[in-house]
Amino acid sequence: MGMTYIPSALSEALQLRAGTGARPLAGGTDMMVQAKRGIGLAPEFPYPVMIISGLDELKGIKAREDGTVEIGALSTPAEIAASPLVPWHVRMAAAGMGAVALRNSATIGGNIGNASPKGDLPQPLILLEAEVILVSMHGEKKMLLDDFILGSKKTALRDDELIKSILIPPHSFTYSYYRKIGMRRANAISKLSLSAAAVVKDGEIVDFRAASGAAGPKVIRSHEAEAMIKGHRTEEIPDILDGFLAAWDGAISPHAMPVYRRNTTKRMLSFFLESIFNGSEPGIIGGEV
Amino acid sequence: MPVTGIDDRIVRTDAAAKARGEAKYACDLSFPDMLYAYMVRSSIPRGTIDSVKVPTLPDGYYFISAEDIPPEGKNELWMIQKDWRCFAEGDVRYVGETIGLLVGPDRNMLKYLLDHLEIKYTEGVPAVTIDDAIACKGGPIVGEDNIHCQLYVEKGKPMSEVFAEADSIFEETIETGFQEHVHLETNAAIVTEEDGHYVFYVSAQCPFYVRKSVAGLLGLNPEDIIVRQTTTGGAFGGKEHFPDVLCGPLLVAEHRIHKPIKLIFDREEDMLYSVKRHPSKVTYKTALDKDGNILGIEGLVYYNCGAYLSSSYVVLQRGVFHANGVYDFPNTYVKGIGVATNTFPSDAFRGFGAPQTLFAIETHLDHIARKFGFDPAEYKSRYFIKQGGETITNGHIVERVMLPEMMKQVVDASDYFRKAKEYGTGSGKGIGISFYNHGGAFTGNGEQAIIKAHARLVKTGGRVRIEVGSTEMGQGFQTALRKIAAATLGISIDQIDYDNPDTSKVCDSGPTAASRSTMIVGRLVQRCGEEMKERWDEGDFSVEKEYEHPEGHPWDQSTFRGDAYLGYGWGCAVVEVEADRLTNEIKVTGIWSSHDIGHAIDELIVHGQINGGIAQSIGYAAMEKMENRNGHFRQSSMSDYVIPTSMEFPEQKWFLVENPYQWGPFGAKGMGELVFNGADAAYIDAVERALGITVRRIPMPPEDIEEALADAQ
Repeated sequence: MGMTYIPSALSEALQLRAGTGARPLAGGTDMMVQAKRGIGLAPEFPYPVMIISGLDELKGIKAREDGTVEIGALSTPAEIAASPLVPWHVRMAAAGMGAVALRNSATIGGNIGNASPKGDLPQPLILLEAEVILVSMHGEKKMLLDDFILGSKKTALRDDELIKSILIPPHSFTYSYYRKIGMRRANAISKLSLSAAAVVKDGEIVDFRAASGAAGPKVIRSHEAEAMIKGHRTEEIPDILDGFLAAWDGAISPHAMPVYRRNTTKRMLSFFLESIFNGSEPGIIGGEV
Repeated sequence: MPVTGIDDRIVRTDAAAKARGEAKYACDLSFPDMLYAYMVRSSIPRGTIDSVKVPTLPDGYYFISAEDIPPEGKNELWMIQKDWRCFAEGDVRYVGETIGLLVGPDRNMLKYLLDHLEIKYTEGVPAVTIDDAIACKGGPIVGEDNIHCQLYVEKGKPMSEVFAEADSIFEETIETGFQEHVHLETNAAIVTEEDGHYVFYVSAQCPFYVRKSVAGLLGLNPEDIIVRQTTTGGAFGGKEHFPDVLCGPLLVAEHRIHKPIKLIFDREEDMLYSVKRHPSKVTYKTALDKDGNILGIEGLVYYNCGAYLSSSYVVLQRGVFHANGVYDFPNTYVKGIGVATNTFPSDAFRGFGAPQTLFAIETHLDHIARKFGFDPAEYKSRYFIKQGGETITNGHIVERVMLPEMMKQVVDASDYFRKAKEYGTGSGKGIGISFYNHGGAFTGNGEQAIIKAHARLVKTGGRVRIEVGSTEMGQGFQTALRKIAAATLGISIDQIDYDNPDTSKVCDSGPTAASRSTMIVGRLVQRCGEEMKERWDEGDFSVEKEYEHPEGHPWDQSTFRGDAYLGYGWGCAVVEVEADRLTNEIKVTGIWSSHDIGHAIDELIVHGQINGGIAQSIGYAAMEKMENRNGHFRQSSMSDYVIPTSMEFPEQKWFLVENPYQWGPFGAKGMGELVFNGADAAYIDAVERALGITVRRIPMPPEDIEEALADAQ
């Protein structure tokens, strides 16, 4: 059983991290569950842990001058969902996480660091090409979130680093889509999720992207498939739709419920693209029944 | 103090203490020198135990197993039969079977010992499904054919004649899955010794069942053991017989150790290693004339009972007796077979075998109606059984049946017929309807022949104490029974005391099960109250009454002929849905129900029961998926076995009809199970119509709907 530390400043936390490799614990909504041992027994971690929930350096949601939004690693889903600075896709994902209690204690850093394929926040963040700022005693570095998350429960976080914040670059989509399918309507882990977005200028699709959650070992984006849409005119969508859907289907790799996850992903993507083809009003496409 | 009237709307007597966190559950109790126990369980579904290697035990730690049962005792729990072993010995028959108990003062040490205890097995081939059991996969578990129990009932002409006369025969098989109770409080028990008696503090529905079940382990009489029910946070049948499985090993441990010992399941243990609702497979073969009229129905009902019988034979009987639904078909033959598998024994769960066959018959009739182009509601209503109508067991319906009135209430309120016409098949919108009932109290003459319930009222000054073994488990019975006593005596409910039962102090009023408490025990308390009221001025005294069987309910338990139940609760539900065509998620947009429960003792409690029962029933059909792969349950937490939250369904519209029951207190009948018995079928009917699919199994989460859509194309 490992030691538990409670650093009071980021510098102390980074020293501890470098010296002991202690793993950061903030809201504990994943780690405490993973380490539980039953009634009347304290959770036990087989490695040292540091409780970082008091570190103010990792808190807050700010907008930079260039429009980039920086979300501190300790921001909770409740804070993210309520912040007008945060892009719509991410707010939607944050608002649909767990139940109220979880949304008030979980953190974006934890949701990313846990790297569960079913995690709610990485999916829209990867759509938006968010970056993580990693900090160690040697300074800070930036990395695309898509590169940071390596696979199911695997990240590129080094033993001396902490996630400091998440940077979301500015964007202006003509069309946006977000959908999470849980096992029930509230307090549910994601069964499948999808974000999509497009920028249309004078009938040309100048940007198109999508991100699939819970459809493989990590959030899936396929730049190859997206490229099949980009640069085309909206009236060409019917001609390119099937090829795109096949390419996207080739990119995802759902393990359980493969038929459902594949078909539903196809239906959601074609719905989004057909809505654009049909000249929908710019803005958010669809929504739940 | 104001006199409490039976129809007064009052605050539940247990509400404040539970809401404030003051109520003490078993987990909250502590005794001097108390030890803790951990269950050592089988990790394989079937095989022989080659060796159990217990780590060196520090002082004060014990490993308790079958070897600790004294010579005068037997390694068996007495539920209905005595086949369920307290401890596995020689072989194991399901994952989670109790092999031993680790007992000691420190839970960290116990956890360490549990993690280091090694059991070696020679694994057998498990039978897990009903089909496995029929095929005797791995060799029979019981007898020569894997059949735990079976029965049949017949009415009218032999089915061979009926089939010969038929223009067509419609046959299909409908299946339902496991369901987990998910009572908020997990299973928990404490054993101790007080004044030379073994005493249990246990979260349980039936304290008298516990003492009967475990006494034989030490060669004792039930009266030698005292059972005190602790405030019980939900049960749903999951604490009817199952507490025996905790208390048996605890008693053997207590016999050796003589210190208080506490055994609490955490949520994962409670999910993986506890009883479940019986999975079922029901085949109906229905003879029809050219116009789609039903000439007769033959049913074959299989229930997966798991490794031990527990209460399965009675569950199966109830399943068979409800296999006709609320209908009077001219000819029927229904056979029920309870099969043995290497899964955790299936046991009581709200509805007790009725929900499976009721779901099957309702869904089957929907399919026939649709085939012949009839609206299911109209079609089914042709066959509603009436007062005096012959039941599936050749008995008769004694009471007035108000199904037509109830149907009108929900059909009008939901605008069913307009919507049924307007929403085309496969339109994405659907409305469904179902009819159901629930036989109140024990089957046949069981109340008289088996239980012979007693109840007692004790008057001390101006206060009256109720002394019965019936339990509050969240359903509101302590309020309802107090209300019955107060209204009968013409005093205030605040003058009535009714504590959690202690078997050494109260009468055995029978199990808190079978929707019998209000109907049977309530009536007993009312009779006690009537006498007490007449003698009120005599000072301090008590009145005790024994159950009296109402005249005119013939029953032969050996042939299953006669009036299977003393009376029925009746129900009708309409569910409206909207399907998301992209994701196959189903949104319930409306729920309407009407129930005949005789007379409601407390409308607020009844409202709660209706809301909860219907939500639980739709959850059963829509999302509650408990899979068993190779003998292991796959869902072990409340995040992977999901039950509906309050966000799931819209506000329910509900109705009651007034139909006072002659032998119930203030006209009341049972209702706790009834409200679970039918919304599942209405939901599936609505889903079938919305999506143009045929459903023959539940649960149906979106991924299963995907398959059904593929099949429909």
